[in-house]
Amino acid sequence: MTDVAIKTHENFVLPASLVTHLDVAHLVEEVERVDAEMISTAIRGGEGAKPVVPVLSEPLTDFLAQNQFTLEDGKMRETLIKELRLLKDNVPVLHMTFAVTADPESLQQLALYVRESIDPHAVISVGLQPSLVAGVYLRTPNHVHDLSLRAMLKNSRGKLVEELGALRASR
Amino acid sequence: MGLFQHKQQSDQKSPIVEVFENEKNFFDESFREEIRAHAREYFDSVIKENVVLFKKDLDEAVVAISDELKTHTLEALDGSIAKVNTELKEHTIKQLDEKFAAYGKEMKDAQDATLNNLNKSAETLENQYQDLTTMIQKSIANQGVMINGVFEENMSRMTAMKDEQASAIQTIKDSAVSLQTQAAQLGETLKKNIEDQENVVLTAFQDNMAQIVEHYLLGALGDQFDLKAQLPLIIKQMEANKDAIIGDMKL
Repeated sequence: MTDVAIKTHENFVLPASLVTHLDVAHLVEEVERVDAEMISTAIRGGEGAKPVVPVLSEPLTDFLAQNQFTLEDGKMRETLIKELRLLKDNVPVLHMTFAVTADPESLQQLALYVRESIDPHAVISVGLQPSLVAGVYLRTPNHVHDLSLRAMLKNSRGKLVEELGALRASR
Repeated sequence: MGLFQHKQQSDQKSPIVEVFENEKNFFDESFREEIRAHAREYFDSVIKENVVLFKKDLDEAVVAISDELKTHTLEALDGSIAKVNTELKEHTIKQLDEKFAAYGKEMKDAQDATLNNLNKSAETLENQYQDLTTMIQKSIANQGVMINGVFEENMSRMTAMKDEQASAIQTIKDSAVSLQTQAAQLGETLKKNIEDQENVVLTAFQDNMAQIVEHYLLGALGDQFDLKAQLPLIIKQMEANKDAIIGDMKL
């Protein structure tokens, strides 16, 4: 429990089930709801009543397990809510636009790769643009990286023109 | 019945009284009424006859008065008209005589005045004719001098124009030579431009063809890969740009 006491939003470990910025927002809302529910249960049960934790979602369960948090303690819940709010406001976001609808498994794999390779607290904001054909259009806070197939073809257009010119010359 | 109503009583009275009473009995009320009616009819017939006669007399009298009045009026009117005609004729003749006399006098005065004016105008015209003759003579002399000057000036101008014409013909000849040269140069330039345009069109065609091929590829590959299939490619691309992305995130 001593480890838990010093955990802040800066050294939280984000589970794979927390992929998007919206997931983080839902996590904050769920902890707030659980806190309110447990406070009301404690008031109704009176002194000496044992705190009962309601059923939690998978992302919150994973988050609590990986960060070694428990929700029985009211002060800990309060600290957790505060830190989660800070996390939600400060978490780095990668905007990724895909050509097809993103499935949760692939997003989790991408989130894991991003947290391992780029930033351990990064989350993804997902967009859809079919004209990209394939690949991803990535937007960081300061730059955009067009990693789509459309951009690749566009960059290779000179080569295609050369090929066509050669074909015409041969005829 | 009425006549014998009091027969027994009359035997006892005097004859006068009896006559009187008989007469009284004879002229009873109904008889009187008959007499009155008869008298009334007679009176009416008399009055009607008198009215007819009176009306006839009155009509004749009116016709006679009307004829006499007409005759009298016509006679009086003829007399008045004859009198007025005579007086008017005399008055008109007198007025005309007076007017003719006045007009004759005025005509004579006007003729005299006109004659005087005509005489004066003839004198003035003769003087003006003399002056005009003098002026025309002077003008003809001046025109002769001027025409001589203009003729000399035109001669010099004609000479200058001939020189200019010769110069212009030379210029036109030079221009024709220059134009031929320019036409040849223009032909060459045009030929070169056409070749350039051909090259531009061909280049554009190649570019468009590249776009068409690209569009075809995009359309053909569009829905072939889901995100799971693309994941290795995406991670590979991100790995290639990893340093740039990390740098952006830390800014």
